[in-house]
Amino acid sequence: MGTLDVHQPRSGSADPLFRRLLGAAAAGGGLLLLVITGRLIASTLPLWAIQSPLSFISTTAWITGIEQADGTTLEVYGAAAALFGTAATSLIAVLFAAPIGILGAIYLVEFAPKRIAIPLTFLVELIAAIPSVVFGLWALGDLSLRIRDSIEWWIASTVGRFIPWLAEDPGSPAADSIFRAGFVLAIMILPMIVAVSREFLRSVPISLREGYIGMGATKWEAIRDVVVPTARVGLIGAVLLALGRAIGETVAVTMVIGNAEGIPTSLFLPGNSVAAKIASNIGEAGTEVQIAALVALGLALFMLSFVISLIVRLSLRRFTTIKAIS
Amino acid sequence: MSKAAVSVREALLEPGARDLRRARTDWIMRRVVEGAAFLAVLPLFALVIFVTLRALPWLSPEFFFNNPLDSEPGVLNAIIGSLQMSALALLITGPIGVAGGVYLSEFASARVASIGEIVIDILLGIPSIVAGLFAFLLLVPILGFSGWAGSLALGVLTLPIVMRTTQEVMRLVPPSIREASLALGIPVWRTTLLVTLRTAAPGVLTGLVLAASRALGETAPLIMTAKGTNASNFLDFGTTMNAMPLVIFRYAEAADDRTIGQAWATALVLMAIALAMNVIVRWRTVDSRVA
Repeated sequence: MGTLDVHQPRSGSADPLFRRLLGAAAAGGGLLLLVITGRLIASTLPLWAIQSPLSFISTTAWITGIEQADGTTLEVYGAAAALFGTAATSLIAVLFAAPIGILGAIYLVEFAPKRIAIPLTFLVELIAAIPSVVFGLWALGDLSLRIRDSIEWWIASTVGRFIPWLAEDPGSPAADSIFRAGFVLAIMILPMIVAVSREFLRSVPISLREGYIGMGATKWEAIRDVVVPTARVGLIGAVLLALGRAIGETVAVTMVIGNAEGIPTSLFLPGNSVAAKIASNIGEAGTEVQIAALVALGLALFMLSFVISLIVRLSLRRFTTIKAIS
Repeated sequence: MSKAAVSVREALLEPGARDLRRARTDWIMRRVVEGAAFLAVLPLFALVIFVTLRALPWLSPEFFFNNPLDSEPGVLNAIIGSLQMSALALLITGPIGVAGGVYLSEFASARVASIGEIVIDILLGIPSIVAGLFAFLLLVPILGFSGWAGSLALGVLTLPIVMRTTQEVMRLVPPSIREASLALGIPVWRTTLLVTLRTAAPGVLTGLVLAASRALGETAPLIMTAKGTNASNFLDFGTTMNAMPLVIFRYAEAADDRTIGQAWATALVLMAIALAMNVIVRWRTVDSRVA
């Protein structure tokens, strides 16, 4: 603190100004949120003039204007297909990433010696630093085909024989699919699940484990019966956070989901997600209504991630109060 | 779940046999969680090795120093575009984010701080495509498809990162340090800037680097704002601007090997920059986060 000039004349009058400046910057964050929300809502208005929000959510078709026989143009916008794709890819991602992420976090916290835990944690965190477009390129150029010829083929040729939405025509396998997009998402959200689960597993007091092991339990039994139940809310929070991330992910999904219209009959066929639809259609959107429809998709996405982050926040707050009490 | 109670079948076993079973389950589960941890890092190695192998043949001096339309095409304008748009985004949002974070940590009442935290949470959760849409709707009509619009779209994503990390690290500074400075009669603003913020500076810097790495890698907001171009655009923010993620995104599905090769080479450069930035700022603190 050698540079602190204590002989400087007091300038108490600068403090209120300083506070106000900083306060203005903090308010800038809130303002940004308000402007974004307001602008998005305002831009969807042209759509609501021709369609109700309910029909927008429930319609599958997306028709940007076809001249009909009687001279009128048909214009219908439906989010259902894109919402289905987003839900399907995100759930597939969580289905793969949650067990591996939580078990991996258990290893890092409970079993790994420090010299392994440190580099391993570090490497997992690094995955989160890789830009999603690089994942997209990897998926497009290599991974996607590998998934198709291994996991997808295996599922389609066993369970897929009996369940139509897991079936694939082996004669003409699609280049892109909802399943492959979900699998790539799983890799992308894995570090988040590991990192957040790790935090909550670590916060379980060591004395709880010691008590249970002291009563004769094995280490795994202590984890199963004490550590995981205690950290349960946090683990669910980790999965929800990752789900929120998966829902918003755009580029990697756009590159491997196939940008097909409608809801596909099988998860191994091309589809579309909300974010991918916006990204691939915004360039061609000419009319105000077309743009409004895409913005309405964005608004739906925004609201979804908003609700998820709110749920996480509320549930984790409960967790921290419980922790403070016990 | 069976909890601590044993099943009827287990209870009928000899005590020794039951313990053996439990020991075996313990051993198996140890291997299972080990395997899961290994699976979790596997994609990193697979990705890095694969991208490197595909990119290496295309890394030539021309790749780095020529523009896309030159006879020996390269991606110089994309590298420059990415760096300058990210830099501008940070130049705009860095000071605001740091100042806002300092306010929330140092001056805000508990109520305001908790509202601020919720707002930052929501901003952090904004999908990048939505940030792009916002810039497309609000900024593109004013600024056109331009580097300005691109930088500001990236700024929407970097602002909450900077604010959050600043707030968190400022909170970690022990109150006694502030009190010592204030007791010397140093005004609050000087104490905050020269004592508290300086103590927290490494953490604040970490936040800025993480924000920069996020800005460098973002594609979706740029698709509808900066759009990309083949022309060189050094410091020319007024027109469409190229960026590395845009090049990867557009070249990925090209028909000829050379263009696809350039996508891989660009991916390698982008990934190397992002990983290097994260390694530098994260490695220093990893011990404290794991121990």
